Amino acid sequence: MSSELSLANVTAGYGEFVILHSVSLEVPQKKITALVGPNGAGKTTTLKTIMGMTRLREGNILFEGEDITKLPTYRRVELGISLIPEGRGLFPSLTVRENLVIGAYTKKAREKIHESMEIAFSIFPKLKQRLEQKAGTLSGGEAQMLAIARGLMSRPKVLLLDEPSQGLAPVVVMELFQAIKKLNDELGITVLLVEQHVKESLELAEMAYVMEQGSIVMKGRGSELLADPSLKKAYLVY
Amino acid sequence: MRASITRGPILEILILIVILAIIPLALMGNAYYELLAATVVLFSSMVVAWNIIGGYAGQLDLGAYAYMGVGGIVTAELWMKAGIPPLLGIFVGGAVSALIAILIGIPTFRFGIKEVWYALLTAALVVIFNNISRLLMGPFDYYLPPTTGFVYLKFNSYVIVYAIAASFLIIAFLVNFFVERSKMGYYFKAIREDELAAEMVGIDTRRYKLYALLLYSFLLGVMGYIYIVIAASYSYRIFDSSASLSIAIMGIIGGLGSVEGGIISSMVLRSLGEYFRSTFGSSLPGLDLLLYGAVLILIGIFQPEGISSLINKLLKRKG
Repeated sequence: MSSELSLANVTAGYGEFVILHSVSLEVPQKKITALVGPNGAGKTTTLKTIMGMTRLREGNILFEGEDITKLPTYRRVELGISLIPEGRGLFPSLTVRENLVIGAYTKKAREKIHESMEIAFSIFPKLKQRLEQKAGTLSGGEAQMLAIARGLMSRPKVLLLDEPSQGLAPVVVMELFQAIKKLNDELGITVLLVEQHVKESLELAEMAYVMEQGSIVMKGRGSELLADPSLKKAYLVY
Repeated sequence: MRASITRGPILEILILIVILAIIPLALMGNAYYELLAATVVLFSSMVVAWNIIGGYAGQLDLGAYAYMGVGGIVTAELWMKAGIPPLLGIFVGGAVSALIAILIGIPTFRFGIKEVWYALLTAALVVIFNNISRLLMGPFDYYLPPTTGFVYLKFNSYVIVYAIAASFLIIAFLVNFFVERSKMGYYFKAIREDELAAEMVGIDTRRYKLYALLLYSFLLGVMGYIYIVIAASYSYRIFDSSASLSIAIMGIIGGLGSVEGGIISSMVLRSLGEYFRSTFGSSLPGLDLLLYGAVLILIGIFQPEGISSLINKLLKRKG
C-alpha cells in the first residue's frame, strides 16, 4: 500500500500560534483515510497545511514522492490535490454552472471540462437540474454536493474533505457518504476525510487517524479503531 | 431566461448608443451644456472601468484619478515635449498607467493587502501622486497648444469632444461585457465572493487581481487625456482624492458588478451634482458632495445591492 500523500513531522500554525505539533500522516493511494478527533484538535489546520495555507515551521509534505512543502496553493491544486473546505466555500451569487466552471481552473482541467461535468453528474445527478440556479439557493445537502463536484472539476488525485456532513440531516449524510464511497470506488480518487461522525467515517475508511490537541494520538485500520475500547469510550457514546 | 442572457447585452449596447446620440441633440448646440455632457459621460466611463476592479474583482480601489492623471499627463507631455500626437499618445499614457499599476499591484497583492487596507493604500496613492507631481511640475497650470485636429483629439466643437467621451464609454462597456462572459470574469467574481475559497479552488488569485488592475488602469490612463482636453489645462490638481472616491461611490450606488447601474448612477448623480454646483455653488458650496453622501446612505438602507437590483425588481414586476 503505497502512500500518495504524506506528512512527516509537520509543525504548523497561523502566525505566532502553533497548532500542529510534529504531525506524521500517511494517506494511501486510492483509499479512504479518515482523520477524526474533537473540535479544536487541528484537523482543519492539517488539511489547510496540506494545501499550503498555513505557516509551516518544520517538517515536510510529500505528494507522489515529491516534496511539495514550499509550493503555493494553486500549484498544489495543479498537481492534483483538492480541498473541499468546511462550510463549503461556494460562491453563492454565482450559478451552479459557474461554480463548476471555476472549479476547472487548471489548464489540464479546462481541456476536460465537459467530461468532468459528466463525471460530476454521474456521482451527483441532482446537480444537473440545478445548473442555472444560484449556489446560494441550494439546500444544505445540494450545496455540499456542489462543493464536492466543484472539487472534482480540477480532476484531483486526492480529495480532502473537511466535515462534509456538517449541518446535514442524517438521511442526507448517508447519501453523502455513499457518494464519497462511489467516487473512491469508481473514479479511484484518494480521499482524506475529516469528520465528526466518527462511527460512519471509520466504517468507510481503510485507514484512520485520531487527533487530539494538535498531535496524532492513535492510528490504525478503520475497523480496528472502531473496535478499540478507549476510542469507543471517548467518541462513540451517542 | 436563457435567450434574454444572450440577447440582453447587444440590446443594451444599442440602447446606450441611441441615448448617447440623442443627448447632444437635446442640448441644442449650447456649448456649456455640451461640455458638461462630455464631463458627465467621461466620468461615467471611468465608473464603468472601475467596475472591472471594484465590481467584478471586488477590490475597493479608490485610486482612479491616480491612473487617469498619469495617463493624461504622459499623453499631454508627449505631445508638447516630443511632438507625439495624442491619438497615439493616449495608448502610451494608458500603458504607462498600467505599468505603474502593475508595479504597485505586485507587492500589494503579494503581501495580501485587501479590503479596507487596499482602499486606504489606493486612496493614499492619489495623495502621493498629487505631491510628487506638485514637486515636479510646480503649482502651475499647463495649457494644451491651441492646435486642433483629429490626431490631437482636440476640436473646436464640444460636440466632438463629447463624441470621443461617449466612444470611451462604449469601449469601456464592451471591455466589461467581454470580461463578464469570459472565464476571467468568473475568476474575478470568485475572488470577490470569497478569496480564500477561490484560492482553494486553485485560482492564482494574485495574478487575476493583477489582470483586473491592468485592464482598469489602462482604460483610465487612456481616458486621462480627454479629461485634460475638457479642462483645457492640467496641473498637479488632476490627482483629486475626493473625485477618486466618488468614482467608487458611483460604482457602489449602481451595484457592484453592474455596468448599467454604474452608468445610470454616475450620469444622474453627476448631472445633479453639476447642477447644484452651478446653481448653489456660491451660496452653498459642497452641496453636490452632500447629495452623493445622502444617496449613498439611502441606497445603503433601502437597496444595499444598488440601483441595478432596483431595476431588476421593476422589470420583474412588469414581466
